[in-house]
Amino acid sequence: MGQGVSDAESLPLARPHGVRRWLLNPYLLILIGALLNTTGELFLKRGANTEAHLGGWAGAMGFTPLLSGWTWIGIVSYVLSFLTWLSVLRTIPLSIAFPLINVVHVFVPIGASIFLHEHVSLKRWAGISLIILGVLAIMKPVAQAEEKL
Amino acid sequence: MTIVAIILCIAAQIFLVIGQVFMKHAMDEKTSRPRASRAKSLMLGILAQTVWFFLWLGLLQHWDLSLIFPFEGLNPLLLVFAAWLILREKLSIATWVGVALITGGLLLVAA
Repeated sequence: MGQGVSDAESLPLARPHGVRRWLLNPYLLILIGALLNTTGELFLKRGANTEAHLGGWAGAMGFTPLLSGWTWIGIVSYVLSFLTWLSVLRTIPLSIAFPLINVVHVFVPIGASIFLHEHVSLKRWAGISLIILGVLAIMKPVAQAEEKL
Repeated sequence: MTIVAIILCIAAQIFLVIGQVFMKHAMDEKTSRPRASRAKSLMLGILAQTVWFFLWLGLLQHWDLSLIFPFEGLNPLLLVFAAWLILREKLSIATWVGVALITGGLLLVAA
C-alpha cells in the first residue's frame, strides 16, 4: 500500500471558519474535555458507592460498580471526554495538552466538595491553587504564540 | 492508605502514561506513518487506558475520591518526561515551570 504519506498530506486541512472554528479550537476542547472528565469521575464515585455486591473474581476486579446506573452515566461522560481528547491530540503536543488537562485536579475536588459532600481541607485548597498557577504558566506563552499566528 | 493501595495507584498512573503516548503517536496529524500502524497504536493506547480504568474503578470502591485522586499527580511529571523521551517533543521553560507547580500542588493536596 504505502499510501500513508500521501493520504495524510492530501487531507483537506483547510481551517474551518466562524462558530465551527471556535468550537474546534483545541484549547476550548481541552476545557470541555476536562468538564466531561470531572462529570465522569463524580458519577463513577457515586456508582462505586453502590450497596450492591458482586462475589468472586468480578468483585475483586472492581466490576461491582457496573451494577449501578450512575456508573454508566460516568462511563458515557468519560467516553465523550476521551473523544474530545483524541481530537486535541491531533494538533497539540502531548507535553502541552497533558499539563493543561490537569485542570481536572481543580474541578474534581470542587465537584467532590459540592456534590459528594467530601471534606476538602485548607491545605488541599492551597494545593489546588498551585495547580491553577501551573496551568496558567503553561497557558500564557501558548496564548501569546496563538495570537501571533 | 495501605502499601498495596499506593502501589496500585502508581501502577494505574503508569498504564495511563503508556496509553497517552500510544494515543498521541496514533492521532498526531503531522505523522507520516501508514494508517494500519496508527490504528495499531490507537488500539494499544486504548488497551492501556482500559487497564488503568478498571484499576481506578477498583480503587474508587475502597477510598474517597479526594484521597486517591492526588496520585494522578504523578501523571504530568511522568507524561511530560515520556513525551520528551519517546515522542521527542521539545519542552519550553514555561512547561517545566508549569509542571513543577502542578506537581507541587498535587503533592500538597496529597500530603
